[in-house]
Amino acid sequence: MSVLIIVLGLLAGAYAVALLEDRLTRGSFAPAAPLLAAAALLARESIVTRKPDRLLFETAPVLLLIAALLAAAVLPLSPTLIVADLATGGLFINAALAYVLVALLMAGWGPDGAYAMVGGWRFLGQVIAYSMLIVMPITAVAIRAESLLTTAIVGSQEGWWNMFYQPLGFLLFFIASLAVCFLPPFDRPSAEGELAAGVEAEYTGARLAILRLGRMVLVVSLAAATSVFFLGGWLGPWLPPWVWSALKVLAVAALMLLAGYYLPRVREEHLLAWCWKLGIPLALLNIFIVGVMVLAGL
Amino acid sequence: MSALQQYAILLGLAIGAIGVAASLYAFSRAVGSTLAEPGKNVPAASGRLCREPAWARYHAHYLGYALLFLAFDMEMAYMYPWAVVFKEEGLVALLDMGVFLAILFLGLLYGWSQGALRRH
Repeated sequence: MSVLIIVLGLLAGAYAVALLEDRLTRGSFAPAAPLLAAAALLARESIVTRKPDRLLFETAPVLLLIAALLAAAVLPLSPTLIVADLATGGLFINAALAYVLVALLMAGWGPDGAYAMVGGWRFLGQVIAYSMLIVMPITAVAIRAESLLTTAIVGSQEGWWNMFYQPLGFLLFFIASLAVCFLPPFDRPSAEGELAAGVEAEYTGARLAILRLGRMVLVVSLAAATSVFFLGGWLGPWLPPWVWSALKVLAVAALMLLAGYYLPRVREEHLLAWCWKLGIPLALLNIFIVGVMVLAGL
Repeated sequence: MSALQQYAILLGLAIGAIGVAASLYAFSRAVGSTLAEPGKNVPAASGRLCREPAWARYHAHYLGYALLFLAFDMEMAYMYPWAVVFKEEGLVALLDMGVFLAILFLGLLYGWSQGALRRH
Protein backbone atom coordinates (compact mmCIF):
# COMPACT_ATOMS: atom_id res chain seq x y z
CA MET A 1 0.00 0.00 0.00
CA SER A 2 2.66 2.47 1.05
CA VAL A 3 4.63 1.51 -2.07
CA LEU A 4 1.72 2.64 -4.23
CA ILE A 5 1.25 5.90 -2.32
CA ILE A 6 4.95 6.74 -2.50
CA VAL A 7 5.20 5.95 -6.22
CA LEU A 8 2.13 8.09 -6.92
CA GLY A 9 3.57 10.84 -4.73
CA LEU A 10 6.84 10.68 -6.66
CA LEU A 11 4.98 10.95 -9.96
CA ALA A 12 2.97 13.91 -8.67
CA GLY A 13 6.19 15.54 -7.48
CA ALA A 14 7.84 14.88 -10.84
CA TYR A 15 4.84 16.51 -12.52
CA ALA A 16 5.17 19.58 -10.31
CA VAL A 17 8.90 19.77 -11.05
CA ALA A 18 8.21 19.53 -14.78
CA LEU A 19 5.67 22.36 -14.52
CA LEU A 20 8.06 24.52 -12.57
CA GLU A 21 10.94 23.83 -14.94
CA ASP A 22 8.68 24.78 -17.84
CA ARG A 23 7.75 28.01 -16.09
CA LEU A 24 11.38 28.90 -15.38
CA THR A 25 12.89 27.97 -18.73
CA ARG A 26 10.13 28.99 -21.11
CA GLY A 27 8.13 31.45 -19.04
CA SER A 28 4.91 29.65 -19.90
CA PHE A 29 2.54 28.05 -17.45
CA ALA A 30 0.33 25.38 -19.00
CA PRO A 31 -0.89 22.80 -16.48
CA ALA A 32 -1.28 20.08 -19.12
CA ALA A 33 2.07 20.72 -20.83
CA PRO A 34 4.03 17.80 -19.29
CA LEU A 35 1.24 15.35 -20.16
CA LEU A 36 1.07 16.62 -23.72
CA ALA A 37 4.85 16.51 -24.04
CA ALA A 38 4.90 12.92 -22.77
CA ALA A 39 2.14 11.91 -25.17
CA ALA A 40 4.00 13.56 -28.03
CA LEU A 41 7.23 11.75 -27.13
CA LEU A 42 5.44 8.40 -27.00
CA ALA A 43 3.89 9.00 -30.41
CA ARG A 44 7.19 9.96 -32.03
CA GLU A 45 9.73 7.70 -33.65
CA SER A 46 12.32 6.24 -31.32
CA ILE A 47 15.47 6.14 -33.40
CA VAL A 48 18.50 4.00 -32.63
CA THR A 49 21.82 5.34 -33.87
CA ARG A 50 23.61 3.38 -36.55
CA LYS A 51 26.27 1.48 -34.62
CA PRO A 52 25.23 1.65 -30.99
CA ASP A 53 26.26 -0.42 -28.02
CA ARG A 54 22.68 -1.61 -27.87
CA LEU A 55 22.77 -3.03 -24.35
CA LEU A 56 24.04 0.20 -22.77
CA PHE A 57 21.81 2.33 -24.99
CA GLU A 58 18.66 0.52 -23.85
CA THR A 59 19.72 0.16 -20.22
CA ALA A 60 20.57 3.79 -19.50
CA PRO A 61 17.09 5.42 -19.36
CA VAL A 62 15.58 2.56 -17.34
CA LEU A 63 18.55 2.44 -14.97
CA LEU A 64 18.27 6.18 -14.29
CA LEU A 65 14.61 5.71 -13.39
CA ILE A 66 15.38 2.73 -11.16
CA ALA A 67 18.20 4.57 -9.38
CA ALA A 68 15.90 7.52 -8.66
CA LEU A 69 13.10 5.22 -7.44
CA LEU A 70 15.39 3.21 -5.16
CA ALA A 71 16.85 6.39 -3.67
CA ALA A 72 13.32 7.55 -2.84
CA ALA A 73 12.32 4.12 -1.50
CA VAL A 74 14.30 4.48 1.73
CA LEU A 75 12.98 7.99 2.49
CA PRO A 76 9.93 8.31 4.77
CA LEU A 77 6.96 10.57 4.10
CA SER A 78 5.58 9.89 7.57
CA PRO A 79 6.62 7.51 10.41
CA THR A 80 4.92 4.58 8.65
CA LEU A 81 4.76 5.78 5.06
CA ILE A 82 8.00 4.36 3.70
CA VAL A 83 8.73 1.64 1.17
CA ALA A 84 11.63 0.01 3.01
CA ASP A 85 12.90 1.30 6.36
CA LEU A 86 16.32 -0.32 5.94
CA ALA A 87 18.72 -0.38 8.88
CA THR A 88 21.29 0.90 6.39
CA GLY A 89 19.03 3.52 4.80
CA GLY A 90 21.60 6.32 4.90
CA LEU A 91 24.10 4.10 3.10
CA PHE A 92 21.58 2.64 0.68
CA ILE A 93 20.68 6.03 -0.73
CA ASN A 94 24.36 6.59 -1.56
CA ALA A 95 24.46 3.25 -3.33
CA ALA A 96 21.34 4.12 -5.31
CA LEU A 97 22.70 7.53 -6.30
CA ALA A 98 25.95 5.92 -7.47
CA TYR A 99 23.92 4.29 -10.24
CA VAL A 100 23.02 7.72 -11.62
CA LEU A 101 26.64 7.91 -12.76
CA VAL A 102 26.44 4.45 -14.32
CA ALA A 103 23.22 5.33 -16.13
CA LEU A 104 24.55 8.61 -17.52
CA LEU A 105 27.85 7.10 -18.60
CA MET A 106 25.88 4.36 -20.38
CA ALA A 107 23.69 7.02 -22.03
CA GLY A 108 26.87 8.74 -23.18
CA TRP A 109 28.66 5.61 -24.37
CA GLY A 110 25.74 3.65 -25.81
CA PRO A 111 24.71 5.66 -28.88
CA ASP A 112 28.26 6.02 -30.23
CA GLY A 113 27.88 9.75 -30.85
CA ALA A 114 30.58 12.26 -30.03
CA TYR A 115 28.30 14.75 -28.29
CA ALA A 116 26.70 12.15 -26.05
CA MET A 117 30.11 10.74 -25.16
CA VAL A 118 31.46 14.15 -24.15
CA GLY A 119 28.36 14.63 -21.97
CA GLY A 120 28.96 11.30 -20.28
CA TRP A 121 32.62 12.05 -19.51
CA ARG A 122 31.64 15.45 -18.15
CA PHE A 123 29.26 13.82 -15.74
CA LEU A 124 32.03 11.47 -14.58
CA GLY A 125 34.14 14.52 -13.74
CA GLN A 126 31.19 16.02 -11.94
CA VAL A 127 30.70 12.85 -9.88
CA ILE A 128 34.29 12.95 -8.64
CA ALA A 129 33.57 16.51 -7.52
CA TYR A 130 30.21 16.16 -5.80
CA SER A 131 30.06 12.64 -4.39
CA MET A 132 32.09 13.38 -1.23
CA LEU A 133 29.72 16.27 -0.53
CA ILE A 134 26.80 13.82 -0.60
CA VAL A 135 28.50 11.23 1.59
CA MET A 136 30.13 13.42 4.25
CA PRO A 137 27.08 15.52 5.26
CA ILE A 138 25.05 12.28 5.59
CA THR A 139 27.78 10.97 7.92
CA ALA A 140 27.39 14.04 10.13
CA VAL A 141 23.61 13.52 10.12
CA ALA A 142 24.10 9.89 11.15
CA ILE A 143 26.41 10.95 14.00
CA ARG A 144 23.60 13.01 15.49
CA ALA A 145 20.93 10.36 14.91
CA GLU A 146 23.19 7.46 16.06
CA SER A 147 21.56 5.46 13.31
CA LEU A 148 21.34 5.05 9.58
CA LEU A 149 17.58 4.40 9.74
CA THR A 150 16.05 7.31 7.87
CA THR A 151 13.10 7.33 10.27
CA ALA A 152 15.51 7.63 13.22
CA ILE A 153 17.30 10.45 11.41
CA VAL A 154 14.05 12.40 11.18
CA GLY A 155 13.30 11.58 14.84
CA SER A 156 16.68 12.99 15.90
CA GLN A 157 15.64 16.43 14.58
CA GLU A 158 12.82 16.96 17.08
CA GLY A 159 14.58 19.89 18.75
CA TRP A 160 16.56 21.56 16.01
CA TRP A 161 16.26 20.64 12.37
CA ASN A 162 19.65 19.66 10.96
CA MET A 163 19.40 22.66 8.68
CA PHE A 164 20.03 24.81 11.77
CA TYR A 165 22.07 22.26 13.75
CA GLN A 166 24.55 21.79 10.90
CA PRO A 167 23.98 24.56 8.36
CA LEU A 168 27.33 23.87 6.69
CA GLY A 169 26.35 20.30 5.90
CA PHE A 170 22.98 21.44 4.59
CA LEU A 171 24.55 23.93 2.22
CA LEU A 172 27.10 21.43 0.88
CA PHE A 173 24.48 18.71 0.47
CA PHE A 174 22.17 21.09 -1.34
CA ILE A 175 24.85 22.10 -3.82
CA ALA A 176 25.86 18.48 -4.35
CA SER A 177 22.24 17.46 -4.91
CA LEU A 178 22.00 20.01 -7.72
CA ALA A 179 25.04 18.37 -9.30
CA VAL A 180 23.57 14.84 -8.95
CA CYS A 181 20.46 15.84 -10.91
CA PHE A 182 22.65 17.76 -13.41
CA LEU A 183 20.36 20.75 -12.88
CA PRO A 184 21.27 24.14 -14.37
CA PRO A 185 24.32 25.47 -12.62
CA PHE A 186 25.83 22.03 -13.25
CA ASP A 187 23.93 20.97 -16.36
CA ARG A 188 26.90 20.68 -18.68
CA PRO A 189 26.50 16.88 -19.10
CA SER A 190 23.20 17.63 -20.83
CA ALA A 191 24.22 21.01 -22.21
CA GLU A 192 21.35 21.92 -24.49
CA GLY A 193 22.92 24.92 -26.14
CA GLU A 194 26.23 23.33 -26.86
CA LEU A 195 26.15 19.53 -27.14
CA ALA A 196 22.62 19.18 -28.54
CA ALA A 197 21.58 18.00 -25.05
CA GLY A 198 24.69 15.88 -24.38
CA VAL A 199 23.71 12.58 -22.79
CA GLU A 200 20.15 13.04 -24.05
CA ALA A 201 21.30 13.92 -27.59
CA GLU A 202 20.69 10.57 -29.27
CA TYR A 203 17.53 9.62 -27.41
CA THR A 204 14.21 10.16 -29.09
CA GLY A 205 10.60 9.13 -28.59
CA ALA A 206 9.70 6.69 -25.83
CA ARG A 207 13.30 6.25 -24.66
CA LEU A 208 13.66 10.00 -24.19
CA ALA A 209 10.36 10.02 -22.28
CA ILE A 210 11.76 7.45 -19.81
CA LEU A 211 15.07 9.34 -19.54
CA ARG A 212 13.29 12.62 -18.78
CA LEU A 213 10.93 10.92 -16.33
CA GLY A 214 13.94 9.39 -14.59
CA ARG A 215 15.56 12.80 -14.24
CA MET A 216 12.39 14.42 -12.86
CA VAL A 217 11.96 11.60 -10.33
CA LEU A 218 15.64 12.03 -9.44
CA VAL A 219 15.05 15.71 -8.65
CA VAL A 220 12.14 14.76 -6.39
CA SER A 221 14.22 12.03 -4.72
CA LEU A 222 17.03 14.44 -3.96
CA ALA A 223 14.57 17.03 -2.67
CA ALA A 224 13.06 14.33 -0.44
CA ALA A 225 16.55 13.36 0.77
CA THR A 226 17.33 16.99 1.65
CA SER A 227 14.01 17.24 3.45
CA VAL A 228 14.57 14.02 5.43
CA PHE A 229 18.21 14.62 6.31
CA PHE A 230 18.11 18.35 6.98
CA LEU A 231 14.59 19.77 7.17
CA GLY A 232 13.12 17.38 9.71
CA GLY A 233 11.09 15.32 7.23
CA TRP A 234 7.56 14.96 8.49
CA LEU A 235 8.09 17.05 11.67
CA GLY A 236 5.94 20.16 12.03
CA PRO A 237 2.99 21.48 13.98
CA TRP A 238 -0.77 21.26 13.23
CA LEU A 239 -0.75 19.62 9.83
CA PRO A 240 -0.56 15.82 9.41
CA PRO A 241 2.97 14.42 8.87
CA TRP A 242 2.62 13.55 5.18
CA VAL A 243 1.47 17.09 4.38
CA TRP A 244 4.60 18.50 6.00
CA SER A 245 6.75 16.06 4.03
CA ALA A 246 5.05 16.96 0.76
CA LEU A 247 5.36 20.69 1.44
CA LYS A 248 9.05 20.42 2.33
CA VAL A 249 9.87 18.25 -0.66
CA LEU A 250 8.13 20.67 -3.04
CA ALA A 251 9.79 23.67 -1.39
CA VAL A 252 13.25 22.12 -1.73
CA ALA A 253 12.58 21.11 -5.35
CA ALA A 254 11.48 24.67 -6.13
CA LEU A 255 14.59 26.02 -4.42
CA MET A 256 16.79 23.67 -6.46
CA LEU A 257 15.26 24.85 -9.74
CA LEU A 258 15.36 28.51 -8.68
CA ALA A 259 19.03 28.22 -7.74
CA GLY A 260 19.72 27.04 -11.26
CA TYR A 261 17.73 29.93 -12.65
CA TYR A 262 19.79 32.56 -10.87
CA LEU A 263 23.29 31.05 -10.77
CA PRO A 264 25.78 31.03 -13.64
CA ARG A 265 26.84 27.68 -15.09
CA VAL A 266 29.88 26.00 -13.55
CA ARG A 267 32.27 23.96 -15.66
CA GLU A 268 33.10 20.57 -14.19
CA GLU A 269 36.80 21.39 -13.80
CA HIS A 270 35.88 24.48 -11.77
CA LEU A 271 33.40 22.42 -9.80
CA LEU A 272 36.19 19.90 -9.12
CA ALA A 273 38.51 22.63 -7.89
CA TRP A 274 35.87 24.23 -5.66
CA CYS A 275 34.68 20.93 -4.22
CA TRP A 276 38.14 19.55 -3.41
CA LYS A 277 39.84 22.74 -2.26
CA LEU A 278 36.94 24.21 -0.31
CA GLY A 279 34.01 21.80 -0.15
CA ILE A 280 35.73 18.72 1.29
CA PRO A 281 37.69 20.61 3.98
CA LEU A 282 34.40 22.27 4.97
CA ALA A 283 32.60 18.91 5.00
CA LEU A 284 35.29 17.44 7.27
CA LEU A 285 35.04 20.52 9.48
CA ASN A 286 31.29 19.97 9.60
CA ILE A 287 31.77 16.36 10.78
CA PHE A 288 34.18 17.56 13.47
CA ILE A 289 31.88 20.36 14.67
CA VAL A 290 28.88 18.02 14.81
CA GLY A 291 30.99 15.45 16.66
CA VAL A 292 32.00 17.99 19.30
CA MET A 293 28.41 19.27 19.61
CA VAL A 294 27.05 15.75 20.06
CA LEU A 295 29.68 14.95 22.70
CA ALA A 296 28.91 18.22 24.45
CA GLY A 297 25.30 17.07 24.65
CA LEU A 298 23.84 19.84 22.50
CA MET B 1 9.45 -6.53 8.35
CA SER B 2 12.70 -8.44 8.03
CA ALA B 3 15.57 -7.00 6.05
CA LEU B 4 15.16 -9.73 3.44
CA GLN B 5 11.53 -8.78 2.83
CA GLN B 6 12.52 -5.13 2.49
CA TYR B 7 15.12 -5.98 -0.12
CA ALA B 8 12.52 -8.11 -1.90
CA ILE B 9 10.24 -5.06 -2.05
CA LEU B 10 13.08 -2.94 -3.44
CA LEU B 11 13.79 -5.61 -6.06
CA GLY B 12 10.09 -5.62 -6.91
CA LEU B 13 10.20 -1.85 -7.32
CA ALA B 14 13.11 -2.13 -9.75
CA ILE B 15 11.37 -4.88 -11.74
CA GLY B 16 8.17 -2.81 -11.75
CA ALA B 17 10.09 0.14 -13.22
CA ILE B 18 11.42 -2.12 -15.97
CA GLY B 19 7.85 -3.29 -16.58
CA VAL B 20 6.55 0.28 -16.84
CA ALA B 21 9.31 1.19 -19.30
CA ALA B 22 8.65 -1.95 -21.37
CA SER B 23 4.93 -1.28 -21.53
CA LEU B 24 5.52 2.34 -22.55
CA TYR B 25 7.86 1.15 -25.32
CA ALA B 26 5.22 -1.35 -26.41
CA PHE B 27 2.55 1.35 -26.41
CA SER B 28 4.80 3.64 -28.41
CA ARG B 29 5.41 0.89 -30.94
CA ALA B 30 1.69 0.17 -31.18
CA VAL B 31 0.97 3.82 -31.97
CA GLY B 32 3.37 3.89 -34.89
CA SER B 33 6.60 2.25 -35.96
CA THR B 34 9.91 3.91 -36.79
CA LEU B 35 10.50 4.28 -40.52
CA ALA B 36 13.92 3.24 -41.79
CA GLU B 37 15.07 6.22 -43.81
CA PRO B 38 18.65 6.94 -44.89
CA GLY B 39 20.68 9.33 -42.77
CA LYS B 40 18.22 9.33 -39.92
CA ASN B 41 20.35 7.25 -37.60
CA VAL B 42 23.50 9.36 -37.86
CA PRO B 43 24.53 10.70 -34.44
CA ALA B 44 24.09 14.43 -33.90
CA ALA B 45 27.25 16.34 -34.76
CA SER B 46 26.07 19.74 -36.01
CA GLY B 47 25.87 18.68 -39.63
CA ARG B 48 29.22 16.94 -39.88
CA LEU B 49 29.92 13.26 -39.43
CA CYS B 50 31.63 12.54 -36.15
CA ARG B 51 34.55 10.14 -36.09
CA GLU B 52 33.64 6.57 -35.73
CA PRO B 53 33.50 4.98 -33.27
CA ALA B 54 33.12 7.85 -30.85
CA TRP B 55 34.60 5.68 -28.11
CA ALA B 56 37.97 7.32 -28.51
CA ARG B 57 40.58 7.60 -25.83
CA TYR B 58 39.49 10.51 -23.72
CA HIS B 59 41.93 12.64 -21.84
CA ALA B 60 40.59 12.64 -18.28
CA HIS B 61 41.79 16.06 -17.21
CA TYR B 62 40.76 15.26 -13.66
CA LEU B 63 43.05 12.28 -13.09
CA GLY B 64 44.64 13.84 -10.00
CA TYR B 65 41.25 14.30 -8.41
CA ALA B 66 40.24 10.80 -9.44
CA LEU B 67 43.14 9.23 -7.54
CA LEU B 68 42.39 11.25 -4.41
CA PHE B 69 38.73 10.34 -4.84
CA LEU B 70 39.59 6.65 -4.55
CA ALA B 71 41.30 7.23 -1.20
CA PHE B 72 38.40 9.30 0.14
CA ASP B 73 35.75 6.91 -1.14
CA MET B 74 37.39 4.00 0.66
CA GLU B 75 37.59 6.04 3.83
CA MET B 76 33.86 6.79 3.72
CA ALA B 77 33.10 3.08 3.94
CA TYR B 78 34.59 3.21 7.46
CA MET B 79 32.86 6.44 8.39
CA TYR B 80 29.31 5.09 8.38
CA PRO B 81 29.66 2.38 11.06
CA TRP B 82 31.80 4.82 13.05
CA ALA B 83 29.10 7.50 12.84
CA VAL B 84 26.45 5.13 14.21
CA VAL B 85 28.42 4.21 17.36
CA PHE B 86 30.00 7.65 17.75
CA LYS B 87 27.95 8.80 20.73
CA GLU B 88 28.36 5.51 22.60
CA GLU B 89 32.12 5.52 22.20
CA GLY B 90 32.42 9.18 23.08
CA LEU B 91 35.68 11.08 22.96
CA VAL B 92 37.68 7.97 21.96
CA ALA B 93 35.73 7.73 18.73
CA LEU B 94 36.35 11.38 17.94
CA LEU B 95 40.08 11.02 18.55
CA ASP B 96 40.38 7.72 16.64
CA MET B 97 38.66 9.03 13.56
CA GLY B 98 40.27 12.45 14.05
CA VAL B 99 43.74 10.94 13.64
CA PHE B 100 42.60 8.93 10.62
CA LEU B 101 40.97 11.95 9.00
CA ALA B 102 43.93 14.17 9.82
CA ILE B 103 46.27 11.80 7.96
CA LEU B 104 43.88 11.66 5.03
CA PHE B 105 43.53 15.43 5.04
CA LEU B 106 47.30 15.81 5.05
CA GLY B 107 47.27 13.54 2.02
CA LEU B 108 44.85 15.93 0.35
CA LEU B 109 47.09 18.89 1.19
CA TYR B 110 50.14 16.98 -0.10
CA GLY B 111 48.31 16.16 -3.31
CA TRP B 112 47.34 19.79 -3.66
CA SER B 113 50.94 20.93 -3.12
CA GLN B 114 52.10 18.47 -5.80
CA GLY B 115 49.62 19.85 -8.31
CA ALA B 116 47.05 17.04 -8.22
CA LEU B 117 44.18 19.48 -7.83
CA ARG B 118 44.33 21.12 -11.22
CA ARG B 119 43.35 20.46 -14.79
CA HIS B 120 46.04 18.29 -16.35
